[in-house]
Amino acid sequence: MMTNFPLLTVTTFLPLVGAVLVQLLGHGRLVRWTALATTLVTLAVSVPLYVNFDKSSSELQFVESANWIPAWNIAYRMGVDGISLPFIFLTAILTILCVGVSWTAITTREREFYASLLVAETAMIGLFAAANLFLFFIFWELMVVPVFLLIGVWGGPSRVYAAVKFLLFTLAGSVFMLLAMIALYSEFGTLDFNELSGKTIESEFQAWLFLAFLAAFAVKVPMFPVHTWLPDAHTEAPTAGSVILAGILLKMGAYGLLRVSLPILPEAVKLFLVPMLVLSVVAIVYGAYVTLTQTDVKRLIAYSSVSHMGFVTLGIFTLEQSGVEGAVLQMFNHGIISAALFLCVGMIYERTHTRQIEDYGGVAKLAPVYSIFLAIFCLAAAGFPGFNSFIGELLIIGGAFKTQFWLGGMAIWGVALGTTYLVWFYYRVVMGEINSGLEGLKLELNTREVATLAPLAFLVLCLGLYPECVLSYLHETVDALLTAGAIP
Amino acid sequence: MNGTNFSDLRLLLPELILVGTALVLLLAARRIQTAPLATAGTILAALAAGLVSYWLWSADPKIGFGGMVTLDGYSQFFKVLIASALAVTALLSERKIDADRVRPAEYHALFLLAATGMMFAAGASDLLTLYLSLELTTLCSYILVGITVEKPKSNEAAIKYFLLGSFASALLLYGIALVYGVTGTTDFAAINSAVSENGIGSNKIFLAAIGLLAAGLAFKIAAFPFHAWAPDTYQGASAPVAAFLATASKVAGVAAVGRVCLVAFDSEARLVSMVLVGFAALSIIVGSIIALSQTNMKRLLAYSSIAHAGYALLGFIAATSQFGTSDGAAATMTYVFLYVFMTLGAFGVVIALGERGENLSSYEGLAAQRPGIAALMLLFLLSLTGIPPTAGFVAKFVVILSVLSTGHVALAVLAVVCSVISAFVYLRVAVLMYMKDPGEPVPSRCPRTVYMALAVAALVTVIGGIFPGRFTFWAVGP
Repeated sequence: MMTNFPLLTVTTFLPLVGAVLVQLLGHGRLVRWTALATTLVTLAVSVPLYVNFDKSSSELQFVESANWIPAWNIAYRMGVDGISLPFIFLTAILTILCVGVSWTAITTREREFYASLLVAETAMIGLFAAANLFLFFIFWELMVVPVFLLIGVWGGPSRVYAAVKFLLFTLAGSVFMLLAMIALYSEFGTLDFNELSGKTIESEFQAWLFLAFLAAFAVKVPMFPVHTWLPDAHTEAPTAGSVILAGILLKMGAYGLLRVSLPILPEAVKLFLVPMLVLSVVAIVYGAYVTLTQTDVKRLIAYSSVSHMGFVTLGIFTLEQSGVEGAVLQMFNHGIISAALFLCVGMIYERTHTRQIEDYGGVAKLAPVYSIFLAIFCLAAAGFPGFNSFIGELLIIGGAFKTQFWLGGMAIWGVALGTTYLVWFYYRVVMGEINSGLEGLKLELNTREVATLAPLAFLVLCLGLYPECVLSYLHETVDALLTAGAIP
Repeated sequence: MNGTNFSDLRLLLPELILVGTALVLLLAARRIQTAPLATAGTILAALAAGLVSYWLWSADPKIGFGGMVTLDGYSQFFKVLIASALAVTALLSERKIDADRVRPAEYHALFLLAATGMMFAAGASDLLTLYLSLELTTLCSYILVGITVEKPKSNEAAIKYFLLGSFASALLLYGIALVYGVTGTTDFAAINSAVSENGIGSNKIFLAAIGLLAAGLAFKIAAFPFHAWAPDTYQGASAPVAAFLATASKVAGVAAVGRVCLVAFDSEARLVSMVLVGFAALSIIVGSIIALSQTNMKRLLAYSSIAHAGYALLGFIAATSQFGTSDGAAATMTYVFLYVFMTLGAFGVVIALGERGENLSSYEGLAAQRPGIAALMLLFLLSLTGIPPTAGFVAKFVVILSVLSTGHVALAVLAVVCSVISAFVYLRVAVLMYMKDPGEPVPSRCPRTVYMALAVAALVTVIGGIFPGRFTFWAVGP
């Protein structure tokens, strides 16, 4: 469908308009409804993107171009390919659920809360739709402020510490991206992704650029050893904040690797391949062991993200078709599953006001529906066949075995550990005798909460049984990415 | 020397407007007892001066008064900026004048005269004009800092500023004397040709002269290690005066530095570049780090302005580098332009909060009490940090681009690393505003003029960030 309707721009900036509306006319219930309506409309507007996307092409599609800063030769250019499109969908879905889960959880300063959430949505969609590095960077940084506020204002007891730590880690990383971006610009006079990937960049320069970009991306992923902000931020953030963080923000780093490092700096990627693979494996195994020792529900899920994102970076740096496809699929899967787990935890926290695992037990008897949802998401996170992570991890591990035998071995070890901590977590929370502290509490989910979790459960099963619905978007783009980056 | 030509007066129209208004205000001082009239007069004069400067803008320079003043794109850019800063400061002054029972006519007349000096400094093409214009500015500033006679803090600040300022002026004058002694001229272009022709680049007296000039000018822009006056002075002075010192006064200093470095000592660019690198790097480091421990908002902004002076100099460093182009000067000009508005905005919030604006701890919980003001403060702080899509990001982008493309990689790394430190400084305020519970009663409303000033600053900060170059496309080097 060729139309001149600026679909991507509208999808990107609609939430921003919603944020302004929320600020202007919001009072009480109206705020929530405005926010919900905005997120729903955003999803609806983005539907033509998925439907009309030409899966047989690796080119950027729905490209919009406008003069922006002629003096610097920087255009406003948006476009999506097979890698970015799934994440726009994920963002649109998750933000709706964030509004859903905050419906009763957020009682103070709702206007600012929903405005922050919507600004964050604009930043996330914009990031995935940006077709040049300048826009990419702007959305990247724009994301930081609302998340900082979400954690710091509506978070848990040590929210300020967590928010500041998050902010400083992210900024410390992203200033190096700024530097690398300026270096690229001063060298080539353009920041367009397509044009940049066509340039031949001297190897040593590439290596420095790679490291500078890595500083930004590694913090966001987060890769070992710069992951330490993550447990604090995820734990202290309100549920919606955790969902945004785990669901989308972590993907921004890996997406950056795919969008910037691989196509523009192929030689440097080859040069740093081994350290990257080692760091990924360390993240998988170390992250899993640390997860095993957690006693705080949210911290447990947070550390499991470190391990799971290790799979993603492992997949990316295998530079194999299956590995990279698996990595992107796994980014998508992890976005769904970790978001779902945080939603589950947030819903029960709203009733019990405790995050300690030892305070739970026997939830199955009090809240059977909740327990079924949690079971689905835990199994999915553990990579159980039939659920979505299985395919992603399988592809990644396949790619890893092709690259280096020991990588695959380590990854399988990570999967085993993952199953252990998830099953054990489920056992301690849901099974067994009812914990005395929980008696008399109404733990069962209400309709709104079921409606919040149901879409994610549907996606988990749908992708688990038919992964092609995401993979089909990826094939051509990943193929083009790897052939373009392939050097003898 | 072709003597004074009265048609040259046309070139000084903006300055004449300001002086004329100042004189009218002074003559009618007894009649003007209420602030609005004086404020309106100042704003009108500033706008007129700014518009005339803009209208006189042209890329090819005109020289007037026997080579004492230059009218070129560079000077006109700075004149417009100074006039805008003056207008915004006048808007901001309304509240303080009433609160501190200052005589409005005299207060505004001093602002106008100080701005006149700054404009002359921007157009000076001779060391003597430069010295005189900077003196006019600082003399007015000394009085403005101490104008709230009943406040001991303000007196203390004025005396400190005066003592250090006189010392710095003496150094500057000594430097000028030495330059004259070595080259036999005080005209910028003539100095340049004298230096390159007679090969006095390594003359010891000449080096001493450069050192003295650098010290004197560094004082004017509050660059490390000649920054010590700024925190005390800003803290003691009333907030609009501090805002004026942090913006317009610094801008004039930067204009002077640029002209001296890029015109008078153009042939010694290597040396000048090294000196500038020292000042810039140290100012950025010291300003960012010491700001961490501040508990007073005006002091914090003072240290921030020291760091920003360092960032602003980055463009000049690029311009004086081996492969430098005039883009470097334009980068600095862009930087200071955007810096002026975000700093005026931050000071504007301090003013709007009245008594609560001073202490950092009284910002606690502001977002819950006055969400609009808090959001504006957040915007200005983000801009000062350099986070997109605010103007501060564009400013940082252009200066870092200019140093990086001239090969100063270490300096660029330093600049971005320190911007993380300063992020902590600024966002500490955001943490207080948004993440703490209110400790003090809601601040009272302030005059509409303050809101107007805030609106102007916010507009430039936002539009300057989303459409880079919208305000500064016409910046050209000297």
